[in-house]
Amino acid sequence: MGVLKINGKEKPFADDKMPATIADLLSTLGVDSATVVAELDGKIIERDKFGKTPICSGQSIELVRFVPGG
Amino acid sequence: MRGDPKNLLRLEPAKGGELKEPESTPFAGVLCYFMSSITEKLARSVVGVAGLGGLGSNVATALARAGVGKLIIADFDNVEQANLDRQQYFTDQIGKSKIDCTVENLRRINPRVEVEVHNVTLVPDNIPRIFRNVDVIAECFDTAAAKQMIVETVLTKTERIRIVSVSGLAGYGNSNAIKTRRISPRLVLVGDGQTGIDTCKFLTAARVGVAAMHQANAILELLIDEISP
Repeated sequence: MGVLKINGKEKPFADDKMPATIADLLSTLGVDSATVVAELDGKIIERDKFGKTPICSGQSIELVRFVPGG
Repeated sequence: MRGDPKNLLRLEPAKGGELKEPESTPFAGVLCYFMSSITEKLARSVVGVAGLGGLGSNVATALARAGVGKLIIADFDNVEQANLDRQQYFTDQIGKSKIDCTVENLRRINPRVEVEVHNVTLVPDNIPRIFRNVDVIAECFDTAAAKQMIVETVLTKTERIRIVSVSGLAGYGNSNAIKTRRISPRLVLVGDGQTGIDTCKFLTAARVGVAAMHQANAILELLIDEISP
């Protein structure tokens, strides 16, 4: 089993369900990547690198999701 | 604080609206010193306002009233009748550019504020240049993708600029669900985080106003309490 800390809360994943990249994680969470700023272990990851950025158990991810209106 | 001179407007007071020097102050001693140090900090500050809709038109107004020295404002749009439900414009401004109308309105409020204008669409290529001299940017866009774009750009393509962004302000009521949260040293996020115009189909001056004043207040806090990194 793997664990990711997402916005301060630990979320467990079964080994075969562990997302491989940030893009996989957002897809698992059902979040549109066009609306998210992501920080992996304190470093901002640009949106066009979500699919190429691997994640592994034990890492901390902050996801800031934007909804429209202003 | 240099900008492109052609974009820099020194505001003249509106006719009949000249400001007088204050004759006396109600503050004395330490309190007077405290207030004057805040006034000086704000007068030296530069804030970028990205977008002049429901958020930006209200944030710019609040910052001018607070005495922020310079605003760098950017928008590409004109005032429409439908904007008057929440944006700081007036019926006689319909059809004019939001940039021109904001300058006109700020001039009537505080002719001492310096305003640099950019009638452009903000994109990753021009954001670092247009806002290079600001202390803080107010993200005042309406689409989620544009909000994402400017926050990501500021955090990855600039070194020290802080950004106050908004997510979740649609509908009415539930004022206290709108929070100001420090996400990271350079990012402050305002809003309830979930109520967008995609799910809640309308915006009100009141709830957008609550978010805009959270945003302006967070900016004042950054300018007064923290030295720009």
